[in-house]
Amino acid sequence: MAEDFMARAELVPKGRLYEDFEVGQVFTHHWGRTINHGDNSLFTTLTLNYNPLYFNREYALAHGHPDVQVNPLLVFNTVFGLTVEDLSEMGGPFVGVDELTYHLPVYPGDTLTARSLTMDKRESASRPGVGLVTWHTEGFNQRDERVIDYRRTNIVRLRSANVSL
Amino acid sequence: MKISSLTGRGNYFEDFVVGKVMRHARGKTVGETENVLITNLVMNTAQGHFNEHAMKDTSFGQRLSYGGVNFSLALGLASQDTTENALAELGLDKIRLRAPVFHGDTIYAYSEVLEVKPSDREDAGEVRFRHWGVNQDDKVVFEGERRALIKRRSHWADK
Repeated sequence: MAEDFMARAELVPKGRLYEDFEVGQVFTHHWGRTINHGDNSLFTTLTLNYNPLYFNREYALAHGHPDVQVNPLLVFNTVFGLTVEDLSEMGGPFVGVDELTYHLPVYPGDTLTARSLTMDKRESASRPGVGLVTWHTEGFNQRDERVIDYRRTNIVRLRSANVSL
Repeated sequence: MKISSLTGRGNYFEDFVVGKVMRHARGKTVGETENVLITNLVMNTAQGHFNEHAMKDTSFGQRLSYGGVNFSLALGLASQDTTENALAELGLDKIRLRAPVFHGDTIYAYSEVLEVKPSDREDAGEVRFRHWGVNQDDKVVFEGERRALIKRRSHWADK
C-alpha cells in the first residue's frame, strides 16, 4: 500500500503535446547556461573532436581568438538542451536539424539563452497518434548577439491518441 | 610553438577533392559516459535518456542515447580527417537521426566531400561534407552535412 504522501501527491507535469503547439507561438526558454572551460573540454574530448581551437589555448590565441573557442556542437547541444522542456520533453524522437548556422564564436564564460518559434505542425500520414512539429530556434550570448540558429523537427504525441512511442 | 606542427599535413583545403569518401579509423561505444553525462551537462531534460526505470515499459525497453550526442560523436570521429585544420565551422544541414542508439552500441563515421569553393579569405576555402554515423551492424544511425572554413596549405603549412 502506498504511503500517505504518495496517495496525496499530484504529479507536477513537464512538457507539451501536439495539441499544445500553434504555428507562430514563441517560447523564451528557461534557465540559460554559462559555458565554462570544463564543459568545453569534457564535451570536446568525450566526442573525440580534434580541432585544437577547442582545447589548446595557445593555438586558439595564435588564430586571433581571446581564449579557446567553445566547440560549436556544444553550443548547439546547450541551446537545444534549454529548449527541451518547452518543445520535446513529452514528445517522441528527435528527427533532424536543417539550415543550422553558427553566427559568432562562443568563448568560456559566455552565457547562452534560447528562443524558439513554432513554424509548422502536421499529423503523421503513416503513424496514427503522432504528429511532426518544426521549430526555428535561436541561441544568444549575454550581449543578446545571435550565435546560432537552426530548424528542428520532432515527432510529438497527440494528447487525444494516448499512444506509446 | 610552431602551430602547423600540431595538426595534420594531409587535411588542408587543397587536399579535399569532390567525391572523395573516407572511412574514419576509430569507433566509439556509447555508454553512460557519453549519453547520460552529456545529456545532463547540456540540461536536456528528456528523461528517456537518463531514467532506465521509466523506459522499461516502453517499446525501447531501455534508455535511448540522445540524438545530439549520437551525431556529435559521429562528427567527432570524423573531425581529425575533415576539420582538424578548420578555422571555423560554418553550419550544419539535412541532419537526420535515422535509427535509435542504445548503451553498448558502437558508432563509426564516414565522410564524403560534396563541394569545395573559395571563401572571402585568401588563406582558407570552404568545404561541404556529408557525414554518416553507422553502428556495429552497419546500420546508418545519422547522416547530415557540415560546412567548414579550412586553412589553405599555401598560407598555413609553414606557420
